[in-house]
Amino acid sequence: MWPLKFKLNGKRMSRKVKPTQTLLDFLRLEMDLTGTKGACEEGECGSCYVLVDGKPMNSCMMLAPQVQDREVVTIEGLAKGRKLDVIQRKFIECGAVQCGYCTPGLIMAAKALLAENPHPTREEFLVGIEGNICRCTGYNKIMRACESAADEMGLKK
Amino acid sequence: MSKSTEILDKQIAALHVTARSSSAYEQKQMKVVGKGAQRLDAVGKATGETKYGQDLFSKKFLFAKALRAAHPHAEILSIDPREAKKVPGVITVLTHKDVSGTNLHGLIRRDQEVLCSHKVRYLGDAIAIVVATDEEIAGAALRKIKVDYKPLPALFTMEDALKPDAPKIHAEGNVLGEKHLRKGDAPTAMAEADVIVEDVIQTQSVDHAFLDLEAGRARWDGKMLTIEVSGQWLHEERRLIALALGLPLEKLRIIQPATGGAFGGREDISIQIYLGLCALKLKAKTICMRYSRAESMMVRHKRHPIRVHYKLGAKKDGTLVAAQVTFYVDKGAYASTGIAVMRKASSHATGPYKVPNVWVDVIGVFTNNNPCGAMRGFGAAQTAIAYEGLMDRLAVKLGMDKAELRMKNLVKSGDEVTTGQVVPYATAVECFDAVLTRIDWKNRSYATPAPHLKRGYGVSIVCFGLGYGDGFPDASRARCRLTEDGIVELYSSGVDVGQGLINMVSQIAAEEIGVPLEKVRPILADTQLTPESGSTSATRQTYFTGSAVQLAAAELKKQLQDIAAAHLKELVYEIQIENGEAYNAVRPAKRMTLKELAREGKRRGFSLEATSVFKPPTMPEDTRTGQSMRAFVTYLFGSHACQLLVDTETGEVKIERYIACHDVGRAINPDQVIGQIQGGVTMGIGMALMEEVVLKDGRILNPGFTDYILPTIRDVPEIECIVLENPDPGGPFGARGVGEPPLIGTGPAILSAIYDAIGTPVRELPATPERIWRAMAS
Repeated sequence: MWPLKFKLNGKRMSRKVKPTQTLLDFLRLEMDLTGTKGACEEGECGSCYVLVDGKPMNSCMMLAPQVQDREVVTIEGLAKGRKLDVIQRKFIECGAVQCGYCTPGLIMAAKALLAENPHPTREEFLVGIEGNICRCTGYNKIMRACESAADEMGLKK
Repeated sequence: MSKSTEILDKQIAALHVTARSSSAYEQKQMKVVGKGAQRLDAVGKATGETKYGQDLFSKKFLFAKALRAAHPHAEILSIDPREAKKVPGVITVLTHKDVSGTNLHGLIRRDQEVLCSHKVRYLGDAIAIVVATDEEIAGAALRKIKVDYKPLPALFTMEDALKPDAPKIHAEGNVLGEKHLRKGDAPTAMAEADVIVEDVIQTQSVDHAFLDLEAGRARWDGKMLTIEVSGQWLHEERRLIALALGLPLEKLRIIQPATGGAFGGREDISIQIYLGLCALKLKAKTICMRYSRAESMMVRHKRHPIRVHYKLGAKKDGTLVAAQVTFYVDKGAYASTGIAVMRKASSHATGPYKVPNVWVDVIGVFTNNNPCGAMRGFGAAQTAIAYEGLMDRLAVKLGMDKAELRMKNLVKSGDEVTTGQVVPYATAVECFDAVLTRIDWKNRSYATPAPHLKRGYGVSIVCFGLGYGDGFPDASRARCRLTEDGIVELYSSGVDVGQGLINMVSQIAAEEIGVPLEKVRPILADTQLTPESGSTSATRQTYFTGSAVQLAAAELKKQLQDIAAAHLKELVYEIQIENGEAYNAVRPAKRMTLKELAREGKRRGFSLEATSVFKPPTMPEDTRTGQSMRAFVTYLFGSHACQLLVDTETGEVKIERYIACHDVGRAINPDQVIGQIQGGVTMGIGMALMEEVVLKDGRILNPGFTDYILPTIRDVPEIECIVLENPDPGGPFGARGVGEPPLIGTGPAILSAIYDAIGTPVRELPATPERIWRAMAS
């Protein structure tokens, strides 16, 4: 077992982990944070995105020990109490949530994008979320939610 | 304001421009129906709190895994689980000998064994289940199970399976069934036609690729077996599992967790039945199971690949006179819903076009490939690619504008469709007109930014029978009750797989009774609590369950009006309920809130509860002619237009513009209607251009999203939606449905545009860059 120390959603954590366990399974089964979803299990769909030191990472492609001394933020870490993050709120308002299985991953992708790039062009938005697959919505409303979040955050021009 | 925001706002504005209500509906101003209310389950989904099947796991539970067949076609000589049972951490290993019931399942024919006893027919067949303390141990133990096989010659093509000396996959042979349609005299009419076009079109195997993999848990406490797995028709799953496992129906409870997409892929039984079996053997233990993406793709049924031989005859002026169509349907290893898919292909063989003489044969052929069954579009999607493809070839041969040719032949109100059913209110022309106007058909431009880019324009029209039809019992039930705290509880077994049923039923109940949406509490999909509402399939939930909800809500409202009348000492027919309050419009000061109605009802001994069933009949199609006066309860109409560029050097396609018009009768929630249209078009883009399950010797070569290519945000343009609302007299508030038609229209519109761009048709789906390049080269 690997003695893992890391920061999860703002809190310092210390856990013994199986070195071969993926970060995805570790978060879901050991930390009971089931908001992060597994879907393709090979880094192709972005459903399992979490932020590792602010970067969106496919947690299905990382082993738990790889977050040693790093900071992990999951979908559960976005809302402040009952107050939703603006990106969460915009996904809901714009109808970008249907079956909802891709939603946490997409929100994390958008979160990382807007944190790094306050003024994304449409092309930059596409680069930021082209790694996420949604099978229900057709993406139009997802794009609208992202752009609308950027507008509201006052980040866009 | 961003460009996408503008377009969406325009679309929503367009809803109001294009909405046309019948006078009956105009009299009442809707308060909840027709409003884009936020999804009732969206907050949980956006915060990660919502629990899907796999989110019900705990380390404390046991885990099950299935052993799959080692050969696509083989006899099982012996199964020896002894070594596997010795692996530390293994709790049990189960085989067919442990199944107490019939050990058979299948939606229409019970032809698939839960655990195979003597024969395997494809590589996804299950032979044994290991239950262990964790998944890793279960996986390791699977490899210790010894199975002796006698491999049989396997059949991977319909040609091989139809050979007279082919080995039989099922005892009765390799033909699942045949479906025939004879309308008028097609051979004579074809012989007399001025112009004939003929072609063979091959569609592909498609995976549903819902993101939420099959997963869930089960527990048997000695009195009740509870299974929590996402399906599409809880009560049918309960029937199938109870029969297969030999359990009385009343001892089986199925609860639907949140569901991350289905698209027909959860219609066939999957892990529910294994979980049930394991739980029955291990009393008071919770068993979990999940598929990996590879296992999910390897095991689950697919969209039928269909080879369509289509011959279409017309007069010189373009009037259609005859169609002769043969569908060869690759069934894969088991029947699944194949008979119904074949029937849907036949009954939609000429789509929205009036053809007086039609001859259709549909032949379903068993092979040792994945079983094929339900997927959004259900036989009608493949058929639309064929009939629209042939309309394009006919237009070229006649030298006619393809839109003009289509307009000339569209069914109008009072015309017969393929089955001979008269459609009293057809809106194909309205839908087609709307997309032609939007894309400015007459002024379309073929000028492109570079000489190696060719532009093309495509159109399609959909005419789709809603519900099961064909005389098959098709019913939805609902229950409404007013609780003591003044909440309308609404019970239905309709499952929300992401499409928005939760809002549809709640908005209908709120509107009907006259309460705000937040006063409705939907309770869905638990066989112990909710009445049977049929499947989430066939675009039927809005029409069927929506109607059942409206009926139950209307009955509950009458009870509330009775109580208000008695309490307020008013005449019952003068009592209105609005915004959750009952009053007489003449004396609005005297009012009762929902809580007061509940209290007063209870005091007077009323249950304040209403149940309903909505079960409109259809008539079976004649077995010889395929004709029926009422093959379906109603028809849906839609039309698409597409503008794209083909790169003639690489064969790549870029969709520049996409317009989809659907007549939904009434948009119960317009935002969700647009979501369904845009999502359906996107799935159609996948089917048209990139998605294909590649099989070699019965094995899927691309069982994962690295090689099974799905549309991303890069592949999808702004999808301009036009929603028409011509009310259906049978649907709730006039609503029809919208689930499948957006997908059905997309493939043909894109293929039509590619043909327009490059001048040769692509005959095999998907139209990948390679196939387009080869079509140009030929």
